[in-house]
Amino acid sequence: MTAAATRAGAALRPGLPPLLACLGLLACWQALAHLLTTGGMPDAVATFRELPAILGDQEALGDILDSLRRMALGFAIAVALSVPLGLAMGRSRLVASLVNPLLMVSYPVPKAALMPIIMLWLGVGDASKLLVIVLGASLPVIYHAYQGARAVEEKMIWSARAMGMSGASRLLRIVLPAALPEILVGCRTGIVLSLITMVTSEMIARQTGAGNILFNALDMAQYETVYAMILVIGALGIVLDVAFERARAALVGWSDEPDAIGVTAA
Amino acid sequence: MAQAALIDPSHPPEQSTAPRPAAVEIAGVTKTFQRRTGGTHLALAPIDLAVADGEFVSILGPSGCGKSTLLYIVGGFVPPSTGAVTVGGRPVTGPGPDRGPVFQEFALFPWKTVLGNVAYGPRQAGASKADAETKARGLLARVGLSAYETFYPKELSGGMKQRVAIARTLAYDPAILLMDEPFGALDAHTRLKLQNDLLALWERDRKTVLFVTHAVDEAVYLSDRIVVMSRQPGRIKEIVPVDLPRPRHRDELLLDARYQRYVIDIERLIEDPPEEAGA
Amino acid sequence: MIRAWRSDALVGILPLAALVALWWGIVAAGLAPRALLPSPVAVFGRTLASVADPAFLLHAWATLSRLFAGFLVALVLGVGLGLAGATNRFVGGVLRPVVRILAPVPKIALYPAFVLSLGFGDASKIVLVVADALFPILLATYQGAARVEPKLVWSALAAGTSRRAAVWTVVLPATLPSILTGSRIGLVVACIVVFLAEMITSTDGLGYLLVRAARSFQTVEMFVPLIAISALGLALNGALAALRRRLLAGFPNED
Repeated sequence: MTAAATRAGAALRPGLPPLLACLGLLACWQALAHLLTTGGMPDAVATFRELPAILGDQEALGDILDSLRRMALGFAIAVALSVPLGLAMGRSRLVASLVNPLLMVSYPVPKAALMPIIMLWLGVGDASKLLVIVLGASLPVIYHAYQGARAVEEKMIWSARAMGMSGASRLLRIVLPAALPEILVGCRTGIVLSLITMVTSEMIARQTGAGNILFNALDMAQYETVYAMILVIGALGIVLDVAFERARAALVGWSDEPDAIGVTAA
Repeated sequence: MAQAALIDPSHPPEQSTAPRPAAVEIAGVTKTFQRRTGGTHLALAPIDLAVADGEFVSILGPSGCGKSTLLYIVGGFVPPSTGAVTVGGRPVTGPGPDRGPVFQEFALFPWKTVLGNVAYGPRQAGASKADAETKARGLLARVGLSAYETFYPKELSGGMKQRVAIARTLAYDPAILLMDEPFGALDAHTRLKLQNDLLALWERDRKTVLFVTHAVDEAVYLSDRIVVMSRQPGRIKEIVPVDLPRPRHRDELLLDARYQRYVIDIERLIEDPPEEAGA
Repeated sequence: MIRAWRSDALVGILPLAALVALWWGIVAAGLAPRALLPSPVAVFGRTLASVADPAFLLHAWATLSRLFAGFLVALVLGVGLGLAGATNRFVGGVLRPVVRILAPVPKIALYPAFVLSLGFGDASKIVLVVADALFPILLATYQGAARVEPKLVWSALAAGTSRRAAVWTVVLPATLPSILTGSRIGLVVACIVVFLAEMITSTDGLGYLLVRAARSFQTVEMFVPLIAISALGLALNGALAALRRRLLAGFPNED
């Protein structure tokens, strides 16, 4: 048990074991596909063979890249709006008590489910999808920025005040860097959530994008395509998460490894 | 120099200490830790120590000398790298109810009440809930906490928590108490009070006690023998028998020149580690 | 303390009230066509009427039963695997990389695969809820269990508890705060994902009600299931918070 405790910090670090785990999971899939002979499940090898067909198709690839562009933009907007809001909540009790109930109410509502209503207002174009992604990615970023700002050592603020720093520059130069490790934990969850919201909104709105390809293939009983798209989307999630974790480690290597609970929901 | 005053020929050791059987026998115990950066770190150089039945032995040393690690090895919580520990003639392979630990951090179960914490040991030993609670109530009375049995640990002061922890350990009646800087986290006043209470408890039961501390006055006040350790690597520098009459009373001892001499000499022994003197 | 909390709650009502007032103002001033934004009076009126409507309650029950079934399976699996991973070297060695890979995968993308192997019924939806709610609970349990003060375990071992039994009598209760934190997240996730699954493929449940209303452009009806799922989430969260206060009576306070 002690051994497990000392390893907790090193847990879930990228390296060889995740690679082995990947292979193991694919092997399980392969075995499962051969055990279940119901026909609905193609095996891993057949699915991988399908990948070039999808990624080589100009239209499909364009759709996926379009989705990713929306996702990146939505995530960027979400971060730009959520971090200042979260920091303000953390430093002002009034702001926190004003905003918290709104967050509480909106937490259990699937943001992608707002798609039908938002489409009524903003049409079926990019704007609706973007808004939904912004909403989907915001909550964890706001929450972690709030927690991070709240945990900033009061004495650090006192010394900044004593040095004559104004409120705004204290927020920018003391609170923001001190809360950065926690903010990045929120961003890590947020980026995976923006991917999820993107896919889900495309599954619901069914015009273009990765989610749309996935469900059209299901409708047309192209099972290899369904599984290949799942593979693509799953790999995107993993790549985004690993890339973000690398960036986080590079940015805030000075802080203790925070125990990020990877909350991922649409 | 220092040692000369400690070995006083006019006061031979008590006769009773010589023939008593060894309760704890530590033979050639070492501990090596794996460094995070690779390589190894020798925390404990070979340690040999025999503790007699009913003896109160303190292990004293600067932080990082491995005194707590040695205690954990005796407890069976941490395996030694080499060497062996025998307790009551049997080799230690893991923790057991013959050795009861008391930690500086109290380590009370936060989800159990005071009564539940103290009744835990008897329950594990197979006692019925009613019997375990009767036993626990008796021990809480002995440590003066009868009024607090329904409290949760978080509602108690540090000193009270440590009393509960001691009662919890005494509840399964271990032959040996392993105390790891038990009063280290307490304020000075509470610390003195608990030292007195521990002495009173010990003088009644005469359990074997291994007591890790870095406070010289505490070690002299409580112990029959003091094992002084030095660090890098942790090893026994000197074993000092404390030849002061029992029962001991602090106010008398503080005025006693021999008590003062022990404190001063042992402090010097710690202050002046040979590796630093050489450098 | 209590007074401060009350005034906080009062301040908290303000933005919600202001939002509804703004909404009402926009509608009353005729700034938005009714077809796009119905009045809040109509929406909340319809929501209240729905609560008394047995057909609506059946849909709500369909959602709730899937949510609970999935959440409970995720809870048992997550706590079991998390404890095993933190207390057993081998299980931990296998579990960590597998979780590292699976946690960031958008589970909703697996839904078509679940539909293909389990059909369009309850099973595929429940499995999706399990897949989504599992990871917050599993990770919280694992991290909480790995951080249990070793001296708590030692205290139990010294009292004669076996290593195996100490997992249940010490590690599990000591991990309870983390488990409940993970459960809270898992429960919200379960609410979200069951609703989405019902929107994508279903013939009943709150998510289906939203899709049905959207297909026939009944705007008022589109708001009702959204308000219902929000209220459901709040109620479940409140119930869990009450449970937490009971179960964690002895633990140091935190928020």
